[in-house]
Amino acid sequence: MKIFDKNFKDIMLSQIVSITGGIIAGIFLAVYTDKLLLIPGMLILLPGFLEMRGNISGSFASRLSSGLFLGIIKPNTTKTKIIKGNFLASFFLALFISTVLGLIAFLFNYIVFGIPTFNMILLPLIAGLIANAIEIPLTFFVTIYLFKKGHDPNNIMGPFITSTGDITSIVSLLIAILII
Amino acid sequence: MKNIKKYLEKVRAIRKKKYHPLIHKIHKKHMLSKKTLFYIKEYGPHTNVSKTIIKESIKILLIASIISAFGGLALEHVKTIFVSIIPLIILLPVLNDMIGDYGTIISSRFSTMLYEGKVNKKWWAKEDIKVLFLQIFIIAIITAFISSLVALILSGFSNYKINLIIALKILLIALIDIILLVSILFLIAVTAGLYLYRKKEDPNNFLIPITTSLADFGNMVLLAVLVILFF
Repeated sequence: MKIFDKNFKDIMLSQIVSITGGIIAGIFLAVYTDKLLLIPGMLILLPGFLEMRGNISGSFASRLSSGLFLGIIKPNTTKTKIIKGNFLASFFLALFISTVLGLIAFLFNYIVFGIPTFNMILLPLIAGLIANAIEIPLTFFVTIYLFKKGHDPNNIMGPFITSTGDITSIVSLLIAILII
Repeated sequence: MKNIKKYLEKVRAIRKKKYHPLIHKIHKKHMLSKKTLFYIKEYGPHTNVSKTIIKESIKILLIASIISAFGGLALEHVKTIFVSIIPLIILLPVLNDMIGDYGTIISSRFSTMLYEGKVNKKWWAKEDIKVLFLQIFIIAIITAFISSLVALILSGFSNYKINLIIALKILLIALIDIILLVSILFLIAVTAGLYLYRKKEDPNNFLIPITTSLADFGNMVLLAVLVILFF
C-alpha cells in the first residue's frame, strides 16, 4: 500500500493552508469576541455560515472536478451551459441558505429572549452576498488552474475553500455588522 | 469517432429519470464506463443544469444548516466557559475546517471512485479505500497536533494564562475530537455514497453537505461535551 504518495503530499500541503486560514479566522474571532461571539444567537448562526462555503463551493468544485476528469468540462472552454448553470445554482443556494440561517438565529433569539432581532436575518444575508461574490468565482478559477497544472482538485479544493471561506466569512460578517 | 459523438448526443437527449438501453449499448460497444454516461445524461442539454443542482442540493443544504444550528446550540449552552478559553476560540474554526475538509476529501474522492467504477459492494476490501482512510487518519492526527500547538502559542500573547495542564487538556480535546469524527465521517461517506449512487443520484451533491454538516454538528457537540468534562 502506497500511503505516502502524491495524494498524501497534496492533502498535507493543503491542510497546512487550511490550518493557516483557520488560525487567522480564529484570531479574528478571539480579537472580536465581544463584537461577534457575544451577540446572542451568533454561535447558532456561525457554524452553519462557515460551513456553507464548504457545502456550496465544495460541491461546486467537486462537480467541476468530476466533469474535468470525465472530459465533459474542458479547462479552456469556460463559457459553457454546464458552467453557467453551476455558477447560477451556487449563488442562489448561498443566498437562500444565508437567509434560512438568519431565520433560525432570529427564531432562537425570539423564543429564548423574546426579542425580535430582525437584524439577525439581514446579517447573514449581507455577509453571504459579500462572501460568495468572492468565494464562488475564486473556487472556479482555482479548480481549473489546479487541473491544468496536473493536480487532483479533489484533494486540494476542500481545504482551500474552507480556509479562504472562513476568513472571507468572518470578515464579511464583521463588515455586515458595521453596515447594519 | 463520428459514431460515438452521435450516440453521446442521443444519451444527452434521454430524459433524466429514464433508463435507456442505449446507455448499455454504448457501454458495451465503445467501452465507455456507465458512470461517464450517467454524468453526461445528468447534465445534458435536456436538463436545466442550475435547476438540477438546486433541486438536488437544496433539501440536503437545508438539513445541513439546521443540523449545524443545533450544533451551535450545544456550544451556545457552554458559551460563558467557552469564550473564556482563548486557545479553544482560535481552534474552533481550525477544527471545523479540518474535520469538514476531511469530510470533503473523503466524499469527493469516494464520489470519483464510484464514477470510475473502482468501488463495489465489498468496499472495505479495496486497497484504494484503505489507502484513503489511512492517509486521512495520519494527516488528521498530525494537523490536530500542529494546530493545537499554534493556538496555545498564540494564546500566550494574550492575557490568557497557560500552564502544562491546560496545554495538555487543549491538546487532548483536539485529538479526541478529530480521531472520533474522522472515523465516523469515513463510515458515513462510504455508506451514504454507495446508497446514493445506487439510487442514480450524483453523490457530489449530497455527500459533501452531509459530511460537513455532520462534522460541524459533531464537532460542536463534542467540543461542548469535552469543555464540560475538562474545564
